[in-house]
Amino acid sequence: MSLPENIQPPKWPLRLMRRVLRTEYLEEIEGDMEEVFQDNLHQYSVRKAKRIYTWEMLKLLRPSLLRNLKSSYTLTPFAMYKNYFLIAWRNLAKKKAYSAINILGLGVGIACCFLIFTFVQTELSYDTYHTKRDRIYRVTHGSRISEDPKNLSKAAPSWVWGNAPIGPALKRDFPEIEKVVQFSGRADILLTHDDTKYQENGVFFMDSTVFDVFSWNLLQGDPKTALVNPYSIVLTQSTARKYFGNENALGKTLRGTDAPGRAYAGEYLVTGIMADLPDNSHFKFNALLSLSTFKKSLPEIFDNWDYADFYTYFLVNEKFDEAAFKQKLPGFAQRQLKDPKTRYLIELESLNDVYLKSDADRQPGETGSLSNVYVFSIIALFILVIAMINFMNLSTARSMERSKEVGIRKSIGAARGSLISQFLGESFVIVCLSMITAVCLVVISLPFMTGFTGKEFNIGLLVNWKSIPIILGGMVLIAFVAGSYPALVLSGFDPVHILKGINKSAAGVNLRRGLVVFQFSLSILLIAVTIIVYTQMNHLLDKDLGFDKESMLVIDYNNDEAVNAKSQLLKTILESNPSILSAAFSRSVPGSHFPNAGTEIETKDGEMKMMTQPIFEVGIDFIPHFGLELVAGRSYSREFASDSSRALVINEAAAKQYGYKNAREIIGKKFSQWGRTGVVIGVVKDFNFTSLHQKIEPLTLPFQAYSSRYLSIKFKSQNVTKTVEQVRAVWSEIAPQRPFLFSFLNEDFNRQYQADFTFRKLFTTFSCLAIGIACLGLLGLATYMAEQRTKEIGIRKVLGADFRTIVMLLSSDFIKLVVIAILIATPVAWYVMNQWLESFAYRVEISFWVFILAGLIAFLIVALTISYQSVKSALMNPISSLKSE
Amino acid sequence: MKKTKLGEFEELVLLTVAALQHDAYGVEIKRELETRLNERLSVGSIQSALKRMEEKGFLTSAFGEATLKRGGKRKRIYYTTSHALKVLEEMRAIRADLWKSIPLIVSELKMI
Repeated sequence: MSLPENIQPPKWPLRLMRRVLRTEYLEEIEGDMEEVFQDNLHQYSVRKAKRIYTWEMLKLLRPSLLRNLKSSYTLTPFAMYKNYFLIAWRNLAKKKAYSAINILGLGVGIACCFLIFTFVQTELSYDTYHTKRDRIYRVTHGSRISEDPKNLSKAAPSWVWGNAPIGPALKRDFPEIEKVVQFSGRADILLTHDDTKYQENGVFFMDSTVFDVFSWNLLQGDPKTALVNPYSIVLTQSTARKYFGNENALGKTLRGTDAPGRAYAGEYLVTGIMADLPDNSHFKFNALLSLSTFKKSLPEIFDNWDYADFYTYFLVNEKFDEAAFKQKLPGFAQRQLKDPKTRYLIELESLNDVYLKSDADRQPGETGSLSNVYVFSIIALFILVIAMINFMNLSTARSMERSKEVGIRKSIGAARGSLISQFLGESFVIVCLSMITAVCLVVISLPFMTGFTGKEFNIGLLVNWKSIPIILGGMVLIAFVAGSYPALVLSGFDPVHILKGINKSAAGVNLRRGLVVFQFSLSILLIAVTIIVYTQMNHLLDKDLGFDKESMLVIDYNNDEAVNAKSQLLKTILESNPSILSAAFSRSVPGSHFPNAGTEIETKDGEMKMMTQPIFEVGIDFIPHFGLELVAGRSYSREFASDSSRALVINEAAAKQYGYKNAREIIGKKFSQWGRTGVVIGVVKDFNFTSLHQKIEPLTLPFQAYSSRYLSIKFKSQNVTKTVEQVRAVWSEIAPQRPFLFSFLNEDFNRQYQADFTFRKLFTTFSCLAIGIACLGLLGLATYMAEQRTKEIGIRKVLGADFRTIVMLLSSDFIKLVVIAILIATPVAWYVMNQWLESFAYRVEISFWVFILAGLIAFLIVALTISYQSVKSALMNPISSLKSE
Repeated sequence: MKKTKLGEFEELVLLTVAALQHDAYGVEIKRELETRLNERLSVGSIQSALKRMEEKGFLTSAFGEATLKRGGKRKRIYYTTSHALKVLEEMRAIRADLWKSIPLIVSELKMI
């Protein structure tokens, strides 16, 4: 048996005693009870002692020992709370329509916020899984405008893509850099294992230090050595499964074709299996090949400071000082290039910024848009504000109804504080109900969001230990803001006035009007913005790009030499098909990836000038095939033998780049490019070979018969599937070693606007919702107003008012507000959209009709919303409205 | 003797307090009475008697020391007032008087 001192008497009788006995007796009696209990423990079993204790405790309940109920009466608020809830519930149940509008409106608003919040969270979560992310940086390569070393302004956006020697040089010169990891640009390679054959697009030749820098999980293999040896390959789990099924891939080999410009064909040994990349990685791949493979195949590239094929990331140690490091970079560039006047500009980006904040070109993967994050956050706020205004409006409007209640409560003795808490509590109840609605809506609509944005959204982003306090805080805030007017104003009413029937509600009316104007300004703003986004997107899609993108089938065979060798045969067979108009080969097609080249062309002064521009290596028929228009000179032709190596076609922008305003003047000038010399023979009209976000850059189109990557086939538009099948048959006959990878040029090209389309879809959806919510509120308000004026309308009708007058009477108020809202929203929308359009090189002009249309739409929506109610009231029989009391 | 009525139980408690002197606190009084009366008493009955008598002016009280056994709570020691002693004395006298006046026969008869 344990020591009696350790056994405690049962708790609840003690608590009861403390509650009911006179406080001045408590200490003594408690002590006595305890002592008796301890004595009993020695005598009886613990259970009996406890039982006796409890029984004794009950026997203490005698009048002489109990607290005096009359004098120590404390107000328990529970009854009052119960009453508040009852009243809140009755109010909700009595006016079902209002309650539905409030709860639904607010629920949809909160749901929108949640969805946008997940979107924003997803965007913000990119690369956050790298544990060393605060210490990882990458370099970007740019060139300065002038040779003056102090002038750091850039000639063009920097590239993330750059030369190789910078990596080792950085490691050598800066002790604060711990590890450098470099990798090639996205490479495409055909991998084969037995019969399984896939073209892997977007693999990287990766340094062996990769697993020291990035927090990717190597499931099998040694992270230190996996990518050391040439012809090593690390597969992601799903890629390994694709080739090897359930077998263990480690130690097996995959036959790889050449990756043009990077590595020769060879047998790759699987040295590691890594977990699939998280979706929120700023660049993604299915496999990593060792960078030493690249180095073994083409070692000269690794010493060339002018070559661009590498991404350079590095990990720094704790002593790293970003500002000081940046100071040292210009000196570093001069030292390495041994040229004090070099224009080469090295800049730094933190891994935390690469997804959302990088403005550099030639990214290794997709980037997000910080402005979209802002835009959607703002929309979320708008929607919430609109929903909250509904709530406020309806509660202010109905406050008059509640004023009697307030008057009576006050006369009976309610303090202002308790009234405030009553109204805030009521709004909190509504917010809670809305929250439940919102959660249901989110659960239903989350899959649609994935369809919209192409990104996987995780409910875990929404519900975690960090967001729950935010959500709760948000709820309290919404309840407070939305309920503040009735809470603060109603509770301040003078009961004498209210009960006499004198209402001073002018302030309420003005506030309500102000809120409606505000709400509709937001709605009209959203309508106008949606219209402009739509017209701009249509403009992009419909704009004449300067080349044929319709009915064009593109086959990607990744520079397969065997295919290139048979290109003439392929072309002849294909063109014999009556439904195929023409076929052409090229290294790039519009909208795809292209390299840059340095080209020397003779200027007007007769000297050779070196300039860099994108380069499209094309087959002989490329120019007529794509319907490019010649402005001067001629295209490549089979009649001129020298065309195969000594001729060059450029675009107008390139002619201007070398100082020729008139394209004709550049014809016949000497050029030198990539080891070739000759004369410029033709100038094509500028065509948009990249997305319309960018201006047309200078471009050269040298003729390269056998280094093509794409076969593009122009076909007649009827019966597309049949044509594709025919092409496939030809392909598998001539190039059986290559999978038939085809796509349509217009789709490929429009894929560049994926982000814009997503933006448009999301934007349209959310603005429609916002407008819907605003209308819902207006409907509620209009209904209420009409109800308030039932008697007035009845009397007017009796006195002879006709239908039109009454509709006008009820509508004019709101119509006026909408007109004011249009006036407010127009300049704001104009300003905002001008900013947005800045990001497009080719943009629509914002014409005034957009605002007229937006206003008209808003106007119509409002008119429709309130006309229902006003017509209903106008048609009401005055007898029934006047007799109701 | 008019307004200061003392119940039978109260009288017993009062006597115990007087007997126990400086040890007269709730539990001790209870113990003493239990042994003498040979029956169990509840804390409540003792306490309410004490409180009532204190109100009537038969007792005064003051906090004594605290013990571990009491969970650190102090005892309240009760003292009889001189008024109480006087009343007790009166009661005894009255009783004695009454005893004396009972005819022998009656008691003998009763005893039979």
